[in-house]
Parts: sequence; C-alpha cells; structure tokens
Amino acid sequence: MKYAMIHDMEKCIGCQGCTIACRSENAIPDGYFRLKVKMDGPHGEFPNLNFNYVRHSCEMCEHTPCVTVCPTHASFMDENGIVDINANLCVGCLYCVVACPYNARYVNPKTNVPDKCNFCKHTHLKQYGEPACVAVCPTDALIFGDLDDPLSPIFSYLANKPFVTNKPHLGTKPKLFVVPNKKGGIKL
Amino acid sequence: MNEIWGPDSATIIWHWPIALYLFLAGLSSGAMMKALSVEWMNKNKKAPWDAFVRAGVLLAPFSIIIGLIILIFDLTKPLNFYQLLITYNLKSVMSLGVLLLLFYTPLSLAYAIIRFRSTLEQSFLGGIVRNFGALLDFLERNSLWFGRLVFAIAGGVGVYTGFLLSAIQTLPLYNSPILPILFLASGLSSGIAACICFGLIFFEKEVSKDTTKYLLTMDLRVIPIESLLLFALFVGLYFQGGEKAVAAITSLTSGTWAGIFWICVVGFSVVVPSVIALTALKNHAYKVNFILLNSLSIMIGVFALRMYILYAGQIYLGT
Ligand code: SF4
Ligand code: SF4
Repeated sequence: MKYAMIHDMEKCIGCQGCTIACRSENAIPDGYFRLKVKMDGPHGEFPNLNFNYVRHSCEMCEHTPCVTVCPTHASFMDENGIVDINANLCVGCLYCVVACPYNARYVNPKTNVPDKCNFCKHTHLKQYGEPACVAVCPTDALIFGDLDDPLSPIFSYLANKPFVTNKPHLGTKPKLFVVPNKKGGIKL
Repeated sequence: MNEIWGPDSATIIWHWPIALYLFLAGLSSGAMMKALSVEWMNKNKKAPWDAFVRAGVLLAPFSIIIGLIILIFDLTKPLNFYQLLITYNLKSVMSLGVLLLLFYTPLSLAYAIIRFRSTLEQSFLGGIVRNFGALLDFLERNSLWFGRLVFAIAGGVGVYTGFLLSAIQTLPLYNSPILPILFLASGLSSGIAACICFGLIFFEKEVSKDTTKYLLTMDLRVIPIESLLLFALFVGLYFQGGEKAVAAITSLTSGTWAGIFWICVVGFSVVVPSVIALTALKNHAYKVNFILLNSLSIMIGVFALRMYILYAGQIYLGT
C-alpha cells in the first residue's frame, strides 16, 4: 500500500473543518499544528475576487529529506508509505524539523519529540480507513487513496484533473497532490 | 490581525548552543591539526615540547568534550542520547559525525596524554596513567603514524560540521558546497588563534619566538582564503538566481544579522587582524599584547561566523 492524498483547491472553501478535525482527533496542543489551511489572496480585480486556500501539512514525500537526515532512524517511512516518527529512538536533535522543506514538523512540548501529520495512522485511519480531515471535508476537496491500487478513487481523480506538487525542483516527490485553482492570473 | 489558522510558529529551530558547538568542534580540529603540523615542522624531533604543541594537544580534547556536552544538553531528549551511539543512519551527516567523534574524542585525548605523560605520571592520576603504560608506549613509538591518523580524523571533524548544515536543501545559506571548506578554514584559523592565546598565557616560559612568528603568518594566510570563501559563498548563491539570490542579498543587507556579518564576522576576522598585521606586527616584532589581541579578535570573528550562518540561514529564505 502507498497512501496518498489530493487537495483540490478548486473545491476547497477554506472552512477550516479539516484543521479542527485534525486538532481534536490527534490532541494537538494549543498553538501547534499538524495541518494548516492558509488563505492566500484576495487575487484579481473587484468584483472578480478570489482566494486560494493552501494546505500546509506533511506531504508524505517519496524521497524524504526528514528521513535521510535523521541519525537514529527515528524518522522513517512505514510499509504503507506513511512517514512517521518513533519517539523511542528520537534524541530530539531537530535535524528533521530543519530539513523538512515544507515546514511540516513542530516539536510537541509535551513529548519533546517532533510531530506531524501521519494520515491519522493511529487514530482515524485505523478506525475508519481515512484521515479525520478527509472525513469531515464538506466539499470533498480532500481525496484519500492508495497509489498501488488502480481502483482507488485517487486514480480516476488524477486522470481527469491537472495537478501539481509543491516545490518539485527539490525532487522530494510529495504524495500530496494539489489540484490548482484555475482562477487568478499570471503572477510574475 | 490573527489569522484563522493561528499564529505561524517561530522559524528558528536551532539556537546558539549549536553555534557554540560548531565553533568548539572547529576550534578543536584546527588546534589539533595545527599542533601536529608544528610538531612535524620541528625537524630535530627531540624537543617538540613547545608551548604551542602543548596548548594545541590540550585544547583539542577539551574543546570537543565541552562542545559535545553542550550538544547533548541541547537535545530535546538528552537522556535518549545513547540512541545516537547504538543506531546509525549512514545517509545522515549527523550519524557520520557521531562516528567520527567516536574516534576523534578518545584519540585526541590519548594524544594529549602521551604528550603530557611525565607530568601526569607525577600527578594524582599517576596510577591510572601507569596502568595504561604498555598502550602509551606503543602509541609513543608509533607517534608519527598515530599523529597522521589523528590529523586525518581532525580534518574530517572540521569539514563535517559544514556538511551538517549544507545537507539541508531548503535553507539557501546552508545548502552550499562552499560551507564545509569555509568551516574547515575558519576552524583552522580559530584553532591557531586559540593555541597562540593559550600558549602565550599558560606556557609563557616555553614560548619560542620562531614558532610564534610561524603560527602568526600561518593564521594571517588563512584570512585571505577565508575571505575568498565567504565571497564565493555569496557570489555562488547570487548566480544561482531566484530564491537563493534574494537570500544572499537580504542576508547581507537587511536586519540585525547583516550588521553582525559586517561588524563581527568581517570586522573581527578580517579587518582587525589585517590592520594589526600591517601595523603592530609589521616586522614580525614580538609584541605579546598585539598578538593576543589579534588572536582574540580572530576567535570572536569565527564564532560570529557560526552564529551568523546558523541564524541567518534559518531566517533569510529568499521568499
Ligand atoms: S513534508 Fe516534510 S515531514 Fe513530510 S515527508 Fe516531506 S520532508 Fe518529511
Ligand atoms: S529530532 Fe528525532 S526524528 Fe528528528 S532527526 Fe532528530 S532524532 Fe530523528
């Protein structure tokens, strides 16, 4: 299995349902985040204004800078393609936090170990087969699936929509695919 | 305005203890390499008991040990540090560094012990030292090869601190192949400066004028190389364009860290030593106070460089 996610920015309305679901599902301490949806905008000329809603979370890179730099294998990729952290092995050097190009990791003040999105591996995914953010999204802007399974909804979605990944020049091959907002103009 | 997604967390993840560690590791490796080269330079191998060799072989183990203690206490889980010693990721520069230090720390300590053997044997540690007599005899007999090995590992320690940062792709100021060489060169210059300081203060009686002169010229020769490397670092970033060019320009022109770069890094490690060299030490006159001032200035400058790269690298992302 190789879990992946799509964030469809065309459908996303920035309601923050996903971020709140993530907080409660994973008991994220106040002031810290596994998931943010940032508003970017407004773009365009009145009255044709629009916002982009940009998801910030672990992108589940295929080529993981965070795992490469970790001296103790505390940061690792599991058999399902989920990048995860083994708190027992972690020494807290924070090399992974600095190395993540997507600023996806924070240091949990309770455990002193870096923490980040793991597709609700131990919580919602385990119980219901999908992460909490995907379950609550009112517009179905989040699609979750398995890249090893051609029947997974993620396949037909990617086949029919143009998608991008973030910071492709870094060669990290994120498994978070983004369907960009077609509105808006050329930005120089 | 409060953004609905909440405050963005602070961008500084690695703080000053890391810079202090990088400084001490560089100083240790520089002092060791310098002590060994002074020893080798001394042709009639009979009297290597020169103040600077003593200062160097003492400084090397002490500064790396202090550095490592700082590093361990700076981990968010210091009690877990033994994991670093039992699990290795050979793709991680940090793991490779741990491996190097695992050899470097005891070997540099052993080198200091054989160089101070007679003093130690008369001290309260005499019993312990005598217990290792056979091993120390062996090392002493092969001290040339032992020294060469330690020299190579010390060089490794000097460059790895640079690779540690340069492995981080996203921070333009870190992610440069110049950084390891720059760290090696500046570590060497801080090591030489520390040896001069330490040697002049503590082993004053044994100081030889020739070695002081030699070391001083050695240190002054490192300065143009360091300046060139600094120049290459920023010009290199600038020519890569995009985010990297922006990061290079802003890190040199705006904010507190730009000031620290020009005043502390360039000022103390390039301008002050050059001025002292061109004026007070012009004829290699032996003026202790100016030599001390010169070394102190270089050390401050090298520490400032570590601080600058560490912080500016995390702040100026060019976006
Ligand atoms: S987004 Fe960051 S934390 Fe997630 S896999 Fe990529 S590098 Fe690692
Ligand atoms: S902080 Fe923990 S997980 Fe991150 S690189 Fe260091 S040891 Fe690995």
